[in-house]
Amino acid sequence: MAQKRPAEARSDKLFYYALIPFASTAFLIILLTLFVLTAKGLPALEFYGLKVLTSTRWLPNEFDPEKAVYGLLPAIAGTLVTAIIAVVIALPLSLSLTVLVEELAPSRVRDILSSLVDVMAGMPTIVYGVWGIGFLAPILAPIYSGLQSTLGSLPLFSCEPTGGFSILTAGLLLAIMIIPFIFAVVKEAYRAIPATYREAALSLGMTRYEYTRLLMGMIKPAIIAGVLLGFGRAASETVAVALVVGNAFNLPLCIIGPGITVSSLIANQFGEANLYPLMQNVLYLGGLVLLVLGLASNFLGILMLTRVRVRV
Amino acid sequence: MEKAVTELKPPLEVQIRELRVKLEGREILKGVSLSAKPGAVTAVMGPSGSGKSTLLKTINRLIEYYPGVEVEGDVVVGGVSAFEMDPYLLRRYVAMVFQTPNPFPHLTIYDNVALGPRIHGLAKSKKELDEIVRWALEKAMLWDEVKDRLNDYPSKLSGGQQQRLSLARALALRPPVLLLDEPTANIDPVNTKKIEEAIIGLAREEGTTVLIVTHTPQQAARISDYIAVLYEGRLVEWGPTKEVVLRPRHEITRAYLKGEI
Amino acid sequence: MYKRRIMKDRLFTLAVSVLGLLALAPLFHIIYTVTVRGVPAILEAGPSFFTEPPAPPGSERLGGIAPALLGSFWLALISTMLGIPLAFLVGLFLYEFKESRLARLVRVFTMSLLEIPTILVGMLVYTIVVIPLGGFSVAAGAIALAIVMLPYVATYVERALDSVPATYREAALGLGLSRARTSLIIAGIARRGVLAGFLIGFAKAIGETAPLLFTVGSARNSLNPSPFEPGDAVPLLVFQFIATPYENWIKLAWGAAFVLTVTVLTVFIALRVVVREVRL
Repeated sequence: MAQKRPAEARSDKLFYYALIPFASTAFLIILLTLFVLTAKGLPALEFYGLKVLTSTRWLPNEFDPEKAVYGLLPAIAGTLVTAIIAVVIALPLSLSLTVLVEELAPSRVRDILSSLVDVMAGMPTIVYGVWGIGFLAPILAPIYSGLQSTLGSLPLFSCEPTGGFSILTAGLLLAIMIIPFIFAVVKEAYRAIPATYREAALSLGMTRYEYTRLLMGMIKPAIIAGVLLGFGRAASETVAVALVVGNAFNLPLCIIGPGITVSSLIANQFGEANLYPLMQNVLYLGGLVLLVLGLASNFLGILMLTRVRVRV
Repeated sequence: MEKAVTELKPPLEVQIRELRVKLEGREILKGVSLSAKPGAVTAVMGPSGSGKSTLLKTINRLIEYYPGVEVEGDVVVGGVSAFEMDPYLLRRYVAMVFQTPNPFPHLTIYDNVALGPRIHGLAKSKKELDEIVRWALEKAMLWDEVKDRLNDYPSKLSGGQQQRLSLARALALRPPVLLLDEPTANIDPVNTKKIEEAIIGLAREEGTTVLIVTHTPQQAARISDYIAVLYEGRLVEWGPTKEVVLRPRHEITRAYLKGEI
Repeated sequence: MYKRRIMKDRLFTLAVSVLGLLALAPLFHIIYTVTVRGVPAILEAGPSFFTEPPAPPGSERLGGIAPALLGSFWLALISTMLGIPLAFLVGLFLYEFKESRLARLVRVFTMSLLEIPTILVGMLVYTIVVIPLGGFSVAAGAIALAIVMLPYVATYVERALDSVPATYREAALGLGLSRARTSLIIAGIARRGVLAGFLIGFAKAIGETAPLLFTVGSARNSLNPSPFEPGDAVPLLVFQFIATPYENWIKLAWGAAFVLTVTVLTVFIALRVVVREVRL
């Protein structure tokens, strides 16, 4: 046996090296995406300067790039605001769902609820989009009008609503879409809490409310991770948002009015952007911003998750 | 179920009457009757699987969180049936320490101990709470080691210290009844000695009713006043420690004391 | 004090139940909405819904979504042929060499790929495939979809392999089998879990929209079966038709959304059946 070992190890080494090219695909794709977006996006930054990130106007010109104005700020701010709205709404719902599934539901119902959340996660985003356009936006439209007429003095509700297509509608739709992801992260951590802590909490005479709060405190890094990953999801979602956000180059100051996000901007403009000099490059630059945002929230999220494991 | 019992007057005797517990159809306890007196340490012994932990967790009704549980018989604490009390109230009087040290990792040493009193509103001021925390840590023989670092997290403590912290957390409720489920199973001899001293002190000085599950006859002999031996879900022996150790009546007790089981 | 705690607990239980169910409620309403608007549209179009291209915008007739269905079929076929073997090998690597530093890196990057906006994958494939090849094609769309499904399938495969008890692995290695053979045996034991991973990949391939926006080309009337020509896809048609002002196109979009929903739900039910039985 001892003599056979080295030979065996050699074939195993071969197996290892043979798999490396496949294993590194993800890395290569990310690198390539980063490279393409940078290489194509930088010319826009060079030509227009930082103005391309800070301007709020979007005035394409078919002939002369000098005469065109491209400002990504409304889209970047729109991405951030819609994603933040989504996370703020989705977090309490996801935590409630976790408690419902893990603590309240009888074990059979628990399985059914879990499968339903899986279906929610797997439902194509375009289906959320058509629901947004066909149901959510129309029922929100009169509510927005009401908000504007009563609270119109507040900047948040000061603008003219346009048929329910708005930053807030996009945020709400995104909230629904990211619930399964936040839920998945939080539930996994919650379930991983050793039983002895639950028993300790119960043995002190804590009510369900008191001990779930305590246990949620224990997995706080996982909750933060869920928020970060959910934020990343919301920021990168494209088609559903593009259908309900209204696609107007406004800063998202008034949330009941139409706005735009980076991904919906790309979805709407990239197809014809090659007709306008440098517009495509501006959109690549927007893509780069989106990529950095996505990777950063993912990285921080993973970092948080490793902290849970160390602690618990 | 919940009667208007809102308070119990210590000292509290624990009386277990014809207790039968089934878990998912399997009978773990098959009619156990036993009582534990205030100011005394009752050691519950028996080979693993004999139902010791189940017995303890039935007293504070933690067993109800296990799947497929059925309980018959009664547990009477201070004259009131545990099953007629609100479990949250019951557990304020019947505290528990577990086999694995389990202080909450995200709470400081102070907050771990203060948790019970805070939940139950036992302290009217910060000063009072400070006093309870100090008292509990002293009773758990941990005060001297942690008094200067109450705001540290438990991960900075050794396993034995963490177990004493778990004890202190339970004691902060000033419980008239204390349940301990093999509290020194994973602990080194030095810490074991401190925990044993703490347990004896509680029974003698505070009049606490102590029930401790232990797997070492030596420990039972050192700290207990009474020994109860469980075997396959039945009580096979129960009496003052000296008598049980010197003149075991049952074959199984004899084998167990010799370390044959 | 005591009464207030009980009250708080009851309120909490109530609030959590209501909010938890509220979180799930949209799913039912989405399925309901897509059904009540999609089914009448399909009935109105009749069998031609599945056999014809869309009628011209604003026409009285609906036409059908045949090119999109054909395109989606090709896209699913090609993208799974590309993506699933690749993802399987990545999952195998993650499982078999999980203790190596490289595997840890690979895992981080695979998880990061999950967070890359899928529209950027579309932009990437547009830049490195569509432009060099001189035009949109079903194949380009399939490449984009293969990239999107990679992390889902890979992590699912890894989990499935991981859930096989270690004793099997040790037994295989103990027989003197190489790690390559051993891991294939493990994959055989975990075949249902692995299959579930493949189904997830398939569901992604038929449901994704954004990666197709700048790759497939929305050739709405083409029944050309060549993968190197532009084509259409069901989700793409939905996206581009639902926001138009044309009544007949909007109806087609609802019908197509219904078809898409039913397909994905079917895959999910299949997934449940596959995974439930093995309890992996």
